[in-house]
Amino acid sequence: MRRRSFLCTPLLLPTLTLAAPARAPVTYAPVTPGIKLAFPRDHGAHPDFRTEWWYVTGALDVPQADIGFQLTFFRSRPGNAEDLQSPLAARQILFAHAALTLPGERLLHSERAARANLGAAFSSSDCDIHIGAWRMNREQRSTGEVLRLQMNSPQFSYDFTLTPSQPLLLQGDGGYSRKGQAAALASYYVSWPQLQVAGSLLFDGQRRAASGRAWFDHEWSTAILGGDAVGWDWVGINLDDGGALMAFRMRDSQGATLFAHAAWRDAGGQVRQFAAGEVAFHPLRHWASPRSGASYPVQIEIRLGELTLRTRPVLDDQELSTSRPAPVVYWEGLVRLEGSLSGRGYLEMTGYAGRLQL
Amino acid sequence: MQALSRLSWWLIRAQFTTRRAATLLSMLAVALGVALGYAIHLINDAALADFARAMKSVQGDPDAVIAARDSAGSVPLATLNAIARDPAVLVIAAVIETRVRIDNARTPVTLIGIDVFSAAAVMPDLLPRHNEQAAAPNLFNGGVYASPALLAKLAQRAPDSDSGARPGRTLTLVRGEQQWPATLAGDLPAARPDDLLLVADIAWVQERFGPVDAVSEGRVRLAPDSDLATWRKKWAQQLPAGLLIRVADDDSARVSNLSRAYRVNLNVLALVALLTGAFLVFATQLTSVAQRSTQFALLGVLGLSPRMRLLQVLLEGLAIGVPGALLGLGLGYALAVAFTRLLGGDLGGGYFAGSAPPIIPLPAPALVFLALGCLASLAGASYPAYLNRMQPLAQALKTGFAQQSHADTARATLPRLRLPLFLALAALALAQLPPLFALPLAGYAAIALVLVAGIASAPLLTQLLFGWLSAQALPAPQRIALQNVAQAPLMAQVAASGLIVSFALTASMVIMVSSFRVAVDQWLDHVLPAPLYLRSKATPLPQDLLAALAQPDAPFTRVERMANASLIIDPQRPQVALLVREIDRRDPAARLPVTGPLLAPPATTPAVWISEPMAEIYRLAPGQTLRLPLLGREIEVFIGGVWRDYGRQFGAVVISRQDYQQLGGDFQPTDLALWPRPGEEAHASAWLAPWADQYGLEVADSAEIRRLSLSIFDKSFAVTYALEAAAMLIGLFGLAVTLAASVWLRARELATLGALGFDRRMLSRAVMLEGALIATVGVLIGLACGVGIGAILTHVVNPQAFHWRMALAIPWAALVTGAAITLAAAVLASRHAARQATRLPVAQVLASAQ
Amino acid sequence: MLHVADLAKQHSRASRPLFSALGFTIAAGEIVALVGESGVGKSTLLNCIAGLETADRGSIAIGPQALDIVALDETARAALRARSIGFVFQAFHILPTLTVAQNIAVPLLLCGLPAGEHAARTRALLERVGLASFGPRWPASLSGGELQRVAIARALVHHPALVLADEPTGNLDPRTAGEVLALLLERVREQHTSALVVTHSQHVAQCCDRILTLTPDGLLE
Repeated sequence: MRRRSFLCTPLLLPTLTLAAPARAPVTYAPVTPGIKLAFPRDHGAHPDFRTEWWYVTGALDVPQADIGFQLTFFRSRPGNAEDLQSPLAARQILFAHAALTLPGERLLHSERAARANLGAAFSSSDCDIHIGAWRMNREQRSTGEVLRLQMNSPQFSYDFTLTPSQPLLLQGDGGYSRKGQAAALASYYVSWPQLQVAGSLLFDGQRRAASGRAWFDHEWSTAILGGDAVGWDWVGINLDDGGALMAFRMRDSQGATLFAHAAWRDAGGQVRQFAAGEVAFHPLRHWASPRSGASYPVQIEIRLGELTLRTRPVLDDQELSTSRPAPVVYWEGLVRLEGSLSGRGYLEMTGYAGRLQL
Repeated sequence: MQALSRLSWWLIRAQFTTRRAATLLSMLAVALGVALGYAIHLINDAALADFARAMKSVQGDPDAVIAARDSAGSVPLATLNAIARDPAVLVIAAVIETRVRIDNARTPVTLIGIDVFSAAAVMPDLLPRHNEQAAAPNLFNGGVYASPALLAKLAQRAPDSDSGARPGRTLTLVRGEQQWPATLAGDLPAARPDDLLLVADIAWVQERFGPVDAVSEGRVRLAPDSDLATWRKKWAQQLPAGLLIRVADDDSARVSNLSRAYRVNLNVLALVALLTGAFLVFATQLTSVAQRSTQFALLGVLGLSPRMRLLQVLLEGLAIGVPGALLGLGLGYALAVAFTRLLGGDLGGGYFAGSAPPIIPLPAPALVFLALGCLASLAGASYPAYLNRMQPLAQALKTGFAQQSHADTARATLPRLRLPLFLALAALALAQLPPLFALPLAGYAAIALVLVAGIASAPLLTQLLFGWLSAQALPAPQRIALQNVAQAPLMAQVAASGLIVSFALTASMVIMVSSFRVAVDQWLDHVLPAPLYLRSKATPLPQDLLAALAQPDAPFTRVERMANASLIIDPQRPQVALLVREIDRRDPAARLPVTGPLLAPPATTPAVWISEPMAEIYRLAPGQTLRLPLLGREIEVFIGGVWRDYGRQFGAVVISRQDYQQLGGDFQPTDLALWPRPGEEAHASAWLAPWADQYGLEVADSAEIRRLSLSIFDKSFAVTYALEAAAMLIGLFGLAVTLAASVWLRARELATLGALGFDRRMLSRAVMLEGALIATVGVLIGLACGVGIGAILTHVVNPQAFHWRMALAIPWAALVTGAAITLAAAVLASRHAARQATRLPVAQVLASAQ
Repeated sequence: MLHVADLAKQHSRASRPLFSALGFTIAAGEIVALVGESGVGKSTLLNCIAGLETADRGSIAIGPQALDIVALDETARAALRARSIGFVFQAFHILPTLTVAQNIAVPLLLCGLPAGEHAARTRALLERVGLASFGPRWPASLSGGELQRVAIARALVHHPALVLADEPTGNLDPRTAGEVLALLLERVREQHTSALVVTHSQHVAQCCDRILTLTPDGLLE
């Protein structure tokens, strides 16, 4: 039987999502400092904000070292159908994206899209979001809380349970994370590093037990990209010694840094914040994508104050092309971190193939 | 072998040049049979493919569809969302489908609410294209998208630039009371050229037209590694009673069921044409064998083996069959193309409305029909070939064609009646059997037996009649002619059997069609009690009209409302109509043409009255209870009775409005029966006119509906009439050929008579008398068989194939007229033979030792 | 070339046998006349020899291989006729739908002779019977004498061992009859073929090498 590729969707979505809403745009909630985040409620969705994502990236040791995986759920409220009563109104659009990096070999990925309430749903009281059979949720078990990830696709699927080994890491100022000079350019940003991964992974037609380490991010905002910004570079690294490192910079079209920030929680739990002036990204080696033509600095030297770090990808070609929520071509993949600190985690580079549209 | 095939070829060529007319006509008859069968096949194939394509374009090609079993039902959102979480499901695409009228246009169009995120995977043909130039909201914000055909129609309706099909224009979509001023935002680039479709976002359709918290259907694409059957079984157990899972196989089975009986009947008619073709080959080959018996005997004496004598006649049959069948294939293709252009894919049958599908011939079926044509000609040639093989050479060489000496002529009448009697009894027994594979196969077999019985009784009757006549005091030539026939009945039998078959088939068709027409006529009387009818096409009638009708100033003494819906009892069968009517539970016969017993329903159980087709398809009887999928659940109902329905072949259920509303149904009338106040008929029509205009309603008086119904009836039998004419022509031609042959065979006899002093006129009269008598036998037996077959068609084939029951109404006047015309034609045909007889040069015939 | 021994034949309803213990031989190249009164069984004897009727008893050996046609089945008899016997009939029996040449070629086809040899042999025989230019003509345009010449050509074209002639001149006027008979005998002798000529004509009988007379009591030499 002929099956049409599910990936037809992206071809069509641009016209639909980019066409300007004809009605009065929705008033989104602003991101303001000084809000106290409460959990598990703030693990849930914040539908009044424009965009939100739940982002799990990780590196496995079993069945094979340096297999990278990620599962991301996006929620977007583009301002469509705002005055419709129907529960099916396409107000909240959900996207999900999953990828699997087989080091030195290839990248597998798959995606889903749906409107909330039609084969997809999110909770506003806890982390629980699904599109079809893909799901990311927090479960309170007798042994403590865990995150559960489930996804399936023709090429690969996994079902992971993520057990926290450390408390949450609230980025920026208690979770208020600035993204630019302007006060409005900010998000609420919660990280959860050093999650222990256990579960099963299927690829190449074989189901195998899996274990490793993962990093959870949950971020919601209304505006994070300033007028000049075209994209960002970001890393989230589980350090080998049990510490965690997050660093990002916002770039303009010339590649200059508009804003930057980093946070390092050492093995002892001490958090050190690096202000914009203390963070510098220097490309060491570029990899040009044969598909998009974009050139990504896959090896970057990151200077954080006196620390000098270098990224080394487990696979050069970890470029992705998705429809979330608008068509986006970006690089996101598993890297090893070397230098003053060592560890494994994900590097994300957006805006190299045209300005990022949220 | 090569040498022999050359001889064989010489003989075939000689046969073709010397018997050009007969050979050509046999060829044409075979061609006709093949052409009809092939054309029916092509048309039906194309219509089904077209239907399937149309369905696919609107429904896509899902692995399975979750749908409500009744048209008033829907799939709850909760159910849909539960299925969506199943890992075996790749995606489930929800749709809300409804019928709306655009700006009060009369014909409603289909409005499909889609979810663009899931539609892409299942029904990509429905994906809309936004017009970037238009100042129109996008899909999510209420833009609607029209198929090219609809755009063309809109542009045609309002050619001025301001409205028409311009993107950005507002279309007022109306469904009953509800209205939605939607903005045209683009088109549907992948829609089929004749689809009249509107596509909008599912949320907008739900917001304007419902259903609340539910959708019409969920179309499922399964993950590549999941098994459909297992998945279906699992969910079938979990779904609410009012829902069902349909898979692609169900759809094709349903589509095929839709026209199956009709198709089979047409194919049987084609088979009849092919059989008459075989008969003509038989007549031609038999006479040619008889005529060439001396030649074949000579070849036999010279050393042509018996096998080759058999084979040669078969080969000659094939030499007629192959070109005939090839011609038939070409003709069939041409017919198929012409018919689909003129009548559509269902030959006027009304099953696949409005499509003129492309005809695509494929090699395999063409080969099958080619083989059928060859087989028919071989079958026709086989008995002559056998006779040729069995000719005693020495005798045939001396005296020509030797008929078996009829030692059995002396046999008593009674034992010779045994075979026809036995066949007739067997036919009677077959007619009692139930349908096989939902087709009246036993009925068809019974028809064949009746024909064989008729043919088998022909020699007896011929002999009796001719023997008796020749014993009378008649002028000498006539008596001699009669004795000839009585003693050599083979040719007479051949001539008569052609007429028997063709006249029987024609008469039976006339009887069946006439019975049917009389029954439909009476039925229309019963189902159209009111003088006026008002109908809204598939959308509910506006409440303000219903309110106005309830006012005392409305010029009607009585108004009955009816709602139309449909439900699925078996996903492999077409939908059953559900009619909600204002009907008295205690007296349904006042409104329904009830057949059989009427049972009073228990007070606590809702009652339904089912149509005859429904009773037969689902094997239901009055007094039974039935679990009916109604209003999203299964409801136990009592079957109060069965009523006659010629309108809905796939079954209908009537339920009273009270019962329906008590069950929680929302009674939204779509049809009205109206009784104007006496003397105010014109006023009543005038009163309705503005309503009809405003809401696109149809008003018709009962006479008009009756006229229309009967004209549709007549149209659907158009093909049948054409076939009847062909059968009659072939029968008459067979008579002419065989008579001519028998004259030729008796050339010496006739010449002797001539030499003895009979003049040409006397000889010619004798031959014509012979023809007339043979035709009389043929027509009499044909008429008897025709009545028998007509009864089988009416009482067995029609109920079993179409579930239509009716009384036998024999149009004697038409039959007698037909018989008279046939006789006259037969006499004319025998004139041709008579002329040949009198042209024989007496001296030469006598001189030749043949 | 023909050896009949102990032949008996009885018609089904007759009380007395038509003939019994009939025996005679025709040597190679010998032409024998068979005479007798009507109804004495000449045609039946001829039919038995041709295998068109089956004798009740006895044997009929035909051709160089001396195959007994009484013992053969229908198909083998047809094959034997095709190979070893030529026929000349009183009623000519020329197929009206074939040309003269095609008529003459029929025995060649029945013998399964390769198509290449047909034309030459047919033409040769047409010349031998004095109808050299008649090949493409249709039988309907021929006179009785000409038709019988065609029949003679057809009887000899495949070089049979035996020619059976049944009243070959019965339908011809005396002058033509004489010519045709002379031609038949001449051609048969030329091919060194045996022949059995059934005739009522004294003249014809006397032209043959030997005369056999069939009587109700048996054969008389």
